[in-house]
Amino acid sequence: MKPEDVLKFSLADFTYNDSDGVLNPPEDFNAWIQDPRVATAMSFFEQPLHNSPKPRTELSGGHLGKRRPVINLTSYNYLGLSTHPEVVQAAAQALMHYGVGASGAAMLSGTFDQHVLLAQELAAFKGQDACMLFSSGYGGNLGAIQGLLQKGDVLVVDSKCHRSVVDGATLSGAKMVSFAHNDAASLDETLARHAGKRRMVVVEGVYSMDGDVANLPALLDVCDAHDVPLYLDEAHSSLVYGETGRGLGEHFGVEDRIGVHFGTLSKAFGGVGGFVCGEASIMRYLKCYAASFQFSCALPPAIVAAMRKSLEVATRDNTLREKLWANVRHFRSNLIAMGLDIGESTSQVIPIIVGSSGEQLIELAMAAQERGLYLQPIDFPAVEAHSRRFRISVSAQLSAADIDEASNIIEDVIARPLGLVGAA
Amino acid sequence: MTKEEIIEIIKKHLKDNLDDIDIDTVSADSSMRDYGANSLDMIEVVSATMRELKIRVPRSELADVQTIDALAAKFLEHVE
Repeated sequence: MKPEDVLKFSLADFTYNDSDGVLNPPEDFNAWIQDPRVATAMSFFEQPLHNSPKPRTELSGGHLGKRRPVINLTSYNYLGLSTHPEVVQAAAQALMHYGVGASGAAMLSGTFDQHVLLAQELAAFKGQDACMLFSSGYGGNLGAIQGLLQKGDVLVVDSKCHRSVVDGATLSGAKMVSFAHNDAASLDETLARHAGKRRMVVVEGVYSMDGDVANLPALLDVCDAHDVPLYLDEAHSSLVYGETGRGLGEHFGVEDRIGVHFGTLSKAFGGVGGFVCGEASIMRYLKCYAASFQFSCALPPAIVAAMRKSLEVATRDNTLREKLWANVRHFRSNLIAMGLDIGESTSQVIPIIVGSSGEQLIELAMAAQERGLYLQPIDFPAVEAHSRRFRISVSAQLSAADIDEASNIIEDVIARPLGLVGAA
Repeated sequence: MTKEEIIEIIKKHLKDNLDDIDIDTVSADSSMRDYGANSLDMIEVVSATMRELKIRVPRSELADVQTIDALAAKFLEHVE
């Protein structure tokens, strides 16, 4: 690889290892990743936090290295439940009672009374018969899709669906085809092309890299016309959307038309895990055939107890959701006033799209961190090469002063270098 | 090597990766997606073709390639 070509390459280029042995990474990958310019970009990954994922926390690593205070715009802690006093207390009490780990898979010794109660409470919350818990969000989509589909079936996914959906399709043996993002006509055409097969459609409530939401009424009309069930991944919309936080299905008033309701416990819930809700018969079947459910250690009981408290806190009233949406409106208006491109975002996930230059993205990211902003760059191949970006995760915990201070930094280190004018 | 020879290599790997494709009907002016290839299939076909040609073309340069013919032309630029 010539030095002048190094920055043309990305993580997308070394997926296939063509070295002689499986324990030898590709030779040019080693050279590429050790190039100082690439190493700087990679230094944004796995930066250690030294305090809780609140708006004001401490970070080390990156190109600066040392431990330092930052304004945190990156954590998924949308409602602040990860650090909510009642949730933390519930976890601490359960930790003292149950110990640290579940010490078993759910079907054998890993189910505690807390797991049973959380599953019941989530099913009731979603208005469904039953719920099953997974040890991670990724494992939840992986296992649910693998368990529902088989070779000969067709999984029809939105082109921007998460990797966990894609991997679930691969593991199931089903054929996976995608339709143009959020495009009902493309979905219709794709379903028609595979008529006669057992099919399922997967869409997400909020798309994690763009912050736009599924056009559920139009997509469900197409699914209903083809008599194909819709699997809705509400990883980023649970507890955020809907009058009572049940998600995008509630927001659009279409919950009874959704076949499978998926969610995670790691975003607004503030913990870790995944869950699937639906009819009792399909949940019973899925428990027997979703491998990631059967062969993973169950969630730690203290986390499960904390998630029960998260659900209670987030649904006892709308205080946290109202604060979150007020913050989203405030931040959006600041970013738009600067002339920044936030794409089609309408949610608490707000991208700042900077364009096709990976070098520029990393330069801007370094400047942001130097000014004390924890704002992660999202580079190709995680997003398309022409729309490299930053991604803001708005939290209810941000104060108006936090948002304005962060906006001022963004104006200085992103908007001005991009040649945009305007003031926050 | 000619572009036509590269197109044949791409078609060979397309056939290896798609169950129900009649390779004789594949037009180089089409996209692999037109024949039912999903994103994973396309990554596999592109990777297998590059391995056979002993080239490595950055994916970022392939993002705007729309047809099999254009893919072959891009690969041809990198074949010595």
